[in-house]
This record gives sequence, structure tokens and C-alpha cells, in this order.
Amino acid sequence: MTDYKLFRQGVRDFLALELSPELVRAGELTTSVFSDFEAALKWHKILHNKGWVAPEWPKEYGGTGWDINQRYIFQEECKLANAPSIVMMAIQMLGPMLMHYGTDEQKSFYLPRILSAEDIWCQGYSEPGAGSDLASLKTSAVRDGDDYVVNGTKIWTSMARHSNRIFCLVRTNKEVKPQAGISFLLIDLNSPGITVTDIVSLDGQIEQCQVFFQDVRVPVANVVGNENEGWSVAKYLLEFERGGHNFTIDIKKQLAKLRCQAQSVKARNGKSKLQDPVFRHRLAEAEIEAMALEQTELRIKGTLSSGGNPGALSSLVKCAGTELGQRFNALSVDAVGQAATPYHPDSLNPRYAGKTPAPGYALTAMAEYINNRAATIYGGTAEIQRAIIAKQILKL
Amino acid sequence: MMTEDQQMLHDAAERYLRDNYDFNSRREVVSSSEFMSEPHWTAMASMGWMAMPFTEEQGGLGFGMQECAVVAEQFGRFLVIEPVFDSVVVAGALLTHEGVNTPDAVIEKMATGEIHIILAHAEADAAPSVTNTRALLQPTESGYRLTGEKVFVAGGGSATHFIITACLGEAFAYALVERDARGLTVEAYKTYDGRSGANICFDIHIQASALMASGEVAINAFSRARARAALIASAEALGAMDAALGATVDYTKQRVQFGQPLASFQALQHRMANMLIEVELCRSLVAAACRAHDNSATDEWALILACKVKTANAARHVTQEAIQLHGGIATTDEYIVGHYFKRVAALDSWIVSRDEALETFIAVVDAA
Repeated sequence: MTDYKLFRQGVRDFLALELSPELVRAGELTTSVFSDFEAALKWHKILHNKGWVAPEWPKEYGGTGWDINQRYIFQEECKLANAPSIVMMAIQMLGPMLMHYGTDEQKSFYLPRILSAEDIWCQGYSEPGAGSDLASLKTSAVRDGDDYVVNGTKIWTSMARHSNRIFCLVRTNKEVKPQAGISFLLIDLNSPGITVTDIVSLDGQIEQCQVFFQDVRVPVANVVGNENEGWSVAKYLLEFERGGHNFTIDIKKQLAKLRCQAQSVKARNGKSKLQDPVFRHRLAEAEIEAMALEQTELRIKGTLSSGGNPGALSSLVKCAGTELGQRFNALSVDAVGQAATPYHPDSLNPRYAGKTPAPGYALTAMAEYINNRAATIYGGTAEIQRAIIAKQILKL
Repeated sequence: MMTEDQQMLHDAAERYLRDNYDFNSRREVVSSSEFMSEPHWTAMASMGWMAMPFTEEQGGLGFGMQECAVVAEQFGRFLVIEPVFDSVVVAGALLTHEGVNTPDAVIEKMATGEIHIILAHAEADAAPSVTNTRALLQPTESGYRLTGEKVFVAGGGSATHFIITACLGEAFAYALVERDARGLTVEAYKTYDGRSGANICFDIHIQASALMASGEVAINAFSRARARAALIASAEALGAMDAALGATVDYTKQRVQFGQPLASFQALQHRMANMLIEVELCRSLVAAACRAHDNSATDEWALILACKVKTANAARHVTQEAIQLHGGIATTDEYIVGHYFKRVAALDSWIVSRDEALETFIAVVDAA
């Protein structure tokens, strides 16, 4: 029997010791899936030194061997302590996929470099013409001796400007039905013929990029799994993207922050926004949704720890979790009112110490509200999730 | 996940109701002059459902709300009209709370279905939670005089006894009164959800022993009864909305328009997916709230109130959508889906209303 209380205390002690004020600041000022990159990298290396950077991985590959409850506690404590979010694409998706499909050479070369952050990976799935209909992707890889020659473009590649490698879905056969002609390919972003351009998001910041490939030569040895079997590799990955997330942890954090914001906003009569009955009722309805979500995630956790497969319940939670997150964002913006409006990017830089046009509690509200629109789009849109529910649970 | 006991209760309830409580025979009872079916009542008693919440010493089965909710969910699914839980869970909580001096025989008779006791609390100008009633208890030489009026007593049509709440001086109190007590008039009626209700008017003399509780004991027992009523309402609403969703899925697969089944239209698929999301969120919360109640967890109240609010919201949404997705057929009395809608509409305000639950939730959360 694991002593979870003791474990939690151990995590808390570690966080208290290792999280510098600057890292905490970066955590507090995080307004999207990604934290300030510099801080995230620092934190990644600290976690790596401790052996805790990939809690989900099996121990033999450098994971922790923690059970599902320990992993949950770890995530929760990191969130509560305002640790920055590390760049997760490789740890959450590429790693498990390499363990499952990769060759021994691929595993021994790439996995340690993911853990140490020597490699930073981005994900090359979507294309301008292939979003939800991913199988229609057109970036092609044509065999030429021991190389593929890659041509095409990938979009919404988060963190590509900070990455040195990209894992891609490419078309290796145009003659068969779309899903059957796709391969999974690892590409060095420093290869000749690659251009990365920035995409400015609605919050004025750059997280997303577009990557262009023009006659890029990639060794055939960089295919993961068999040629033309990339679709099943990707589907395996998507399950990790969907199932690996605990929305309750984020939502609880959002709720605590929102209560704090609402208490800070004072009307002339001295009453806080939290005492405003209209606002309080709206908040209460959202709090109740959060409790329903939490209990559903606990249900899924119970199924998982007894070896069951929650199946499409993870689609259900993805819909409910992301939409509730957006509801909290909206409440946040409503709570702070006009204090959410100043656009002042320095305010969100963890190393900035100057004046800010809005009070501290209001700094992140608008950026979070804006950036979280993506939550119901990435990882399978809310509409795709509903299609999965309709098909797999309701059998429509 | 259900325990073995819960699974057995679930299976037995599901089997009995599926085999004996089909929609058409229910309609016959509802359209008759009876307020419930005596044969069903007797059968439900013989299956032990009325003994569930009482301890073994009281002649019961010693089950918690987790087990009661399993059966209540089936009641929702099959639109049961017999006020089993109104009696054994709600009145039962008022009569078995610590400090309440209920004769053993009363509990025994409740647990075997020989009598059924219904809480008569609501008054025309007060919210269900209000405890400073207009009904009055005044001491007399041989006991008390109980005067006043109560309205919308759900299940009152068939009740053999009432628990009537009243003020004894400054104190909240309640008394157990037989339906045919002299000076008690019962104006019984059917309700839209196929059940019964009653407005009662009383000026009666009761013995001192008929005063079950007063003051703090009465307040605490009342609060516990309300908590349990909220859980039963939630479980029943869960069963009703789940059944409404099931009926909608089946119907849209069969119904052909524009040359294809309605279920093949994406707009409708997504709406049914939304219904499922609501049902499953409620399922998680009902189980958690019942568990918290049975374990007297510190977050018991917050969970119960959240559960009441969420299931009320969800059941309304799901049953409204069920009618909409069916179309005209679901607006008729002969089709079951509209009856789920009517039942959850009645549950919304039963003993603990949705809005009250929300308001109390805020008070509980802010005090924590």
C-alpha cells in the first residue's frame, strides 16, 4: 500500500525547495498551455535531475513507476505550487509512441534526449487543408535511395521556433485510400529546405508556427513503425493526448484564482464582486459543474486503476472539461471587468519588474480567455469528440 | 462501480419493473380513480424496498442512500407513482433521527408497507425550507391542539398518515397524525406527473406521544430528511433522463425523414451526445453525493446540494431535448417521453427546490 500522504508531502517538499520565485512567477503568468519558454526549460531540467520529468513513462525508460494516484497528486501539487508547464509534446506523445512502435536504435537514441531536453520536439500533424480531416494530409515523402524527399507544409506546430525536431505524418502512398498511405516520420528541423514562420495568435503572442518543407532529405531510418502504417501510430498517440489530461486539476486552480480575482474587485460600497449575488450565482453554477466533472474523472481513474478502458468517456470529459474551462475564463473576464483590457505583453513576462497598467490579479484574465479558445479545437475538436460519443457510446 | 448488494438491488428492481410496470399498465392506474396501485405497493414491500433505509434493529435492511438511490433511479426510469421513498426515506428520516421518540411499531409497519407516512410541510406563502410555520401546536391538558393548513403534499392522496410540521411556541416541531383523525380534512388530487397530492386542513387534538420532535432535534431531523429527499430526487431524475435519452436514440434510428434515419443527421447526433454528457456527469455526482452522505463526509452538504442543482438542470435539458428530437409524437399522452419530462418537472420543486439548493450551496461553500 502506497502512503499517498507521505508521497504528497515529499512532492511538496521538493517543490518548496526547487521552485524559485522566478519559476513561480512564470507559472502564475501562464496564459495558455505553454509557460514562458526559458522558465519551462529550467524547470524541465530540474525535474529531469530529480527523475520526475516523465511520470507517465515506465521506469525502464526513465519514468517514475508511480501509480495513477501518485501521478495525479504530482500534477495537482505542481499546479497548486504554480510550477511552470514544461513543453509536453515529446513526453506525452512521442515517447509512449516510440516505446510502442520504435526500433531499439530509435528508443535508445531519442528517449534519453527527450528526458534531458537536449531535443525539443514539435508535432507536425495538421496542414492548412487537413484539420479535423487529418487523413486528407498532403505533405509528401517520396523514396529516393536511403532517403525520403519531403515536400509540403505543417501548421499549428506549437513551439516550432524553440524546437530542433518535429514528428510528422506524411503521405508515402497516394494510390491507396487516405488512411492507408500515411507514414510517421521524425525530421531534424535543421535540415536544409525547412523554413519555420511564426503565427501571431489573438493575444499578440507567438506560440504557433507554420513549417515549410522543400525537397527536404530525411533518412528512411527515421520512419517509426512500418511505412504506410502511420495512421495507426497516430491514433495510438491521440489517445495519449486525450486520456492523459486531468481537467479537474486545471479547473480547481482556475476556480481558486477566480475567487481570488472576484474578492479583489471592490465596488464603491465596499462589497467585492464575490458578494455580488448575480455574479455569485453564475459562479456557483460553474462550481457545481466542476464538481460533476471531478467526480466523473474520479470514476474514470477508478476504471483505469482496475485495468478497465474508459473508452469514449475520455471524449466526454474532454468536451465537458474544455468547455467548463472556457466558462471559467469568461467569468474571470467578467469579474475583473475593464481591468482585463490593457494590452501590455511585458506584464506577462516573468522577468519584468516594472509598472503594469492593470492590477496584478487582472493581468492574465484576458489572455487566458483568448488563448483558451484553442482548447475546444486542439486534440480533436469538441465536434469530433461529440461524433465519437455519438458513434461509440450511442451507436448512432 | 456498484457493490454486490447494489448490483443485486439494481437487477431485482429493473427486472420487476420491466416485467410488471410497463407504460400501458401504468397509464391505466394513472387514469383510474386510484392514487396508486395497491398490488404494486404490496409487491414493492415484499421485495424489501421499504425496509432498505431502516437499521436491522428497526426491522430494516440497514442500507444507505447509495442503495436507495440505485432503486430510486429505476423508479425514475419506469416512472413509478407509488410514494415509496416519500414514506420510507423522507418520513423515515424524520422518524428515525436521534432523539425522536417513534414507537417501534410505526417503523415496523412502514418497513413492511402496512402504512405509509407522508411529510406535510409546505404552506401557501412559504418556501419549502421555511421552518417558522403558520401551523401551530398548542399544549392542552391531554396533549396538543394542532391547527393550520398544508398544501401540495406530494403523495398525500394515498397516505395513511401525515407528519405535520408546526410551531410549538418558538420551536419548530412535528407530529404524526393518522389520515382519518377527527378534525383533519384531506383534499386529494392527481398531479401532472401521474402521482397524487393533497391539501390538508386541520384543527385536531393529539396525544403528547404524537409529538415526534421539537426544537433542535426537529430542525436537525428535518435537515436530514431534506438532504435525503434531494438525493432521491436526483437519483430519480437520473433514471428518468437516462431513459428519455435511450428512447430518443432508439426513435431517431427508426424514424425516417428526407429518405434517411433522423439519427444520421449530425446536428441531431451532437445534441444527443450533449444529452449523454449531461447524464454521465449526473451519474458521477449522484453516486458521489450518496457516498458522502452515507460516510458523513465533510463535503457532504456541498455535494448533495450540487447534485440536486446539477440533476435538476440536466434533467430539464435532457427531457426537453428528448421531446424536441422526437417531434410531435412526444407531445402526446400516449407516448412515454413526455412523461419523463413531466416527472422531472415535479421533482424540481419536491421538498428541496433547485433554486433553494443553489442558494444553500453558496452559503455552504462560502462558509467552508
